[in-house]
Amino acid sequence: MNGIFLAILGASLATALAGIGSAKGVGSAAQTAMGVLSEDASMFGKMLVLTLLPGTQGLYGFIVGFLILVNSGVLNGAASNVTLIQGLAYVGASLAIGLGGLFSGIAQGKAAVSGIAMSAKDDKNFSKAMVSITLVEIYALLSFIVSLLVVIQVPNLG
Amino acid sequence: MKSVRIIALRKDRKRLLEHLQDSGLVEIRESDYSGKGLTKVDMTSQMQVFERNVALTEHALKILEEAVPEKSGMLSSFSGRREVNPDEIGVIASKSGDVIISCDRIVELDKERSDNAAEQVKIRSKLALLETWKNLDIPLNTTGTKSTAVFIGTLPEEYGEQSLKEKIAAENPALECELEIIHSEPNMTNAVVFVPISQRVMAEDTLRSLGYSRPMSPTSKVPKVKTEQLLEKSKRLEEESEQAENEIKSFAPIREDIKMTQDYFKIRTDKYSVINKLSHTRHVFVVEGYIPESDCEKLEQICTRAVDCCVEFSDAGDDAPVKLKNNKFAEPVEGILMMYSPPGKTDIDPTPLLAFFFYFFFGMMFSDAGYGILMIIATALIIKIFKPDKSMRNTLKLFQYCGISTTLWGLLFGSIFGDAPAAFCNAFTGSSLTMAEILPWPTIDLQKDALMMMIVSIAFGLVHILVGMGCKFYICIRQKDYAGAFFDTGLWMLMLIGFAVLAVGMAFSPALVTVGGLIAIACAVGLVLTQGRNNKGIVGKAVGGLASLYDITGYISDLLSYSRLLALGLTTAVMGQVFNMLSTMMGTNVLGILFMIIIFVVGHAISIGLNALGSYVHTMRLQYVEMFSKFYEGGGKEFQPFSLNSKYIKIQEDK
Repeated sequence: MNGIFLAILGASLATALAGIGSAKGVGSAAQTAMGVLSEDASMFGKMLVLTLLPGTQGLYGFIVGFLILVNSGVLNGAASNVTLIQGLAYVGASLAIGLGGLFSGIAQGKAAVSGIAMSAKDDKNFSKAMVSITLVEIYALLSFIVSLLVVIQVPNLG
Repeated sequence: MKSVRIIALRKDRKRLLEHLQDSGLVEIRESDYSGKGLTKVDMTSQMQVFERNVALTEHALKILEEAVPEKSGMLSSFSGRREVNPDEIGVIASKSGDVIISCDRIVELDKERSDNAAEQVKIRSKLALLETWKNLDIPLNTTGTKSTAVFIGTLPEEYGEQSLKEKIAAENPALECELEIIHSEPNMTNAVVFVPISQRVMAEDTLRSLGYSRPMSPTSKVPKVKTEQLLEKSKRLEEESEQAENEIKSFAPIREDIKMTQDYFKIRTDKYSVINKLSHTRHVFVVEGYIPESDCEKLEQICTRAVDCCVEFSDAGDDAPVKLKNNKFAEPVEGILMMYSPPGKTDIDPTPLLAFFFYFFFGMMFSDAGYGILMIIATALIIKIFKPDKSMRNTLKLFQYCGISTTLWGLLFGSIFGDAPAAFCNAFTGSSLTMAEILPWPTIDLQKDALMMMIVSIAFGLVHILVGMGCKFYICIRQKDYAGAFFDTGLWMLMLIGFAVLAVGMAFSPALVTVGGLIAIACAVGLVLTQGRNNKGIVGKAVGGLASLYDITGYISDLLSYSRLLALGLTTAVMGQVFNMLSTMMGTNVLGILFMIIIFVVGHAISIGLNALGSYVHTMRLQYVEMFSKFYEGGGKEFQPFSLNSKYIKIQEDK
């Protein structure tokens, strides 16, 4: 049996789940940021940075998804060579960044909401807020690394 | 840090304080000689005048900014304050009166504008009300003539002339009335009702039972005339507002003067607030403060040259503020240290160590020669073009040094804008080169050698932590706390080294396993024997000693935390590669090359933004959480000298 469907499923899971996490995170942060901006439009630059911080999970998911598509040969038409084992490995790998990105994105979004409220009160809090929000990032990053290391190795599997 | 006391004549106070403020060498502290015949002078009321002026100029600048936004480029926040010749201060001072008058005028005009706007709202609601009465050709407050009573008002339902007459007749058949409908809409009818004067009271009762009410704002004018008057007034207000707006705009050219005046008053406020801290007798006053040891001589010269005075130095106490003094290499990270906390009284200044590890770890995480070179060039250009102030300059320098380290690590990992050279070479020639084949020096591929780099990262972490513990060891020795040095810190350091030897031994030689294991066991025994030494009784000591071994989990999690060095480095490399892959996807025709350039620029911009931020924050975290927790107490006060503390201008030093 051919593993192409599973490879594509893996790419979709990685991109979509992590994307949902980022979308939820950025969405809630953006809502709060707009509230702040309606009072003081000059904060736009800072608000933009804080709002975008939960956006990285989606990017990590996309990178894993893209690498799966490249490695499995979907993009250059060599996909028929993907074995079942390889396909399953892609799905397994995609779950790390998919789930890690989903939940860390939401959690980082919550942190970003508080960070936005904090720097709206006093401009000086901005860098502290940014640092605190970025601390959540490491868990998405670790998920990403696990997915990545597996995806890179999959072509060597049977 | 030294403590300094200056005693001078009261008549020279202004002169001396000015010299102190200009030189910016001393942090003045509250001096307390109460009960010894010295008194304080209260300058609060003078300060209030200056503070009011500062607030006024701030307000005026804000209004001006709204009316005529100041042109500023994206990079202008880098530029330093304008340099001003000391002689110009006199000019600013002499102009300050006029500037304050202008500011008052600006604020007044702004108030006029907002008052007008409020008035306009009132007029608009009046006009909306009058609109329903526009067909009435007698004044709204008409109550009647000699023989006829007139009721002008509103009923809460929609009526035609006929239906209203019927309604009144049904309510009170005895009433003789004549009426006119002025305006009607669902749920509202404006009507005029005429009745004989003799039936006035009866008519009023009847109408009231129908819900009649008089107009909200009766006037003695015919509605049409009133409407015209109001429109005219609205137009006049609009013109006035426009005039006010234009007048505000006409103040735009003195914006710079306002800024300088603001700084002038800020500086004066500072000076007067310092007077509050001094002690005075009738003829003499005392200044007390802190000064860095290296500046003592300079201060003495400045003071004695300016006025007749007596300058004494003594040792500063424990609560003296801290001024960091570092070489060019370490100075840029002082800001990072201060963000955590200035060193406390028992601390050593960790800035040089912090600097080395900061540059080292940042470079390892950001690890791309292309990005590193961009950082070096960008920071160098900004420093050269905008001539930023010291703190901004230090931040830029920090990133410049980080850029150098990033470049070196990038070359080692074979990363130049991801794998750009290889990717583009392959795209155009159809070859399949890798970066390792292109670069003439040996490189480490993070993706293939991930496990090895993970171990290397943790090894760097071990060094980092051991250096931190080494600092603790040194501090303990300096305080003559030998038990703390050898038992609490030394044993753990040895134990970590033992484990490291053990780990190396497991990979290479069994002999090292024995050595490492023996070291670790010996240290563990040592810890059990010594860690409970402050507890009471044999049992307490034993339990305390055994419990201390549990700290090993803390060290393990600290060490594993350094795997982020690999994680962030790998992310930078892969992200760059993926963007290169995307950019070469459309082929090498004209359209493809255009696409390539756009994706390359945008993609790497995203990658730089994300990874630089990540590297910065996680480098900081490794310093604060993993290293500082081993030895750094913090909690000191930063040295804040009495100086010319201004926002817009910078006074050049006398040369």
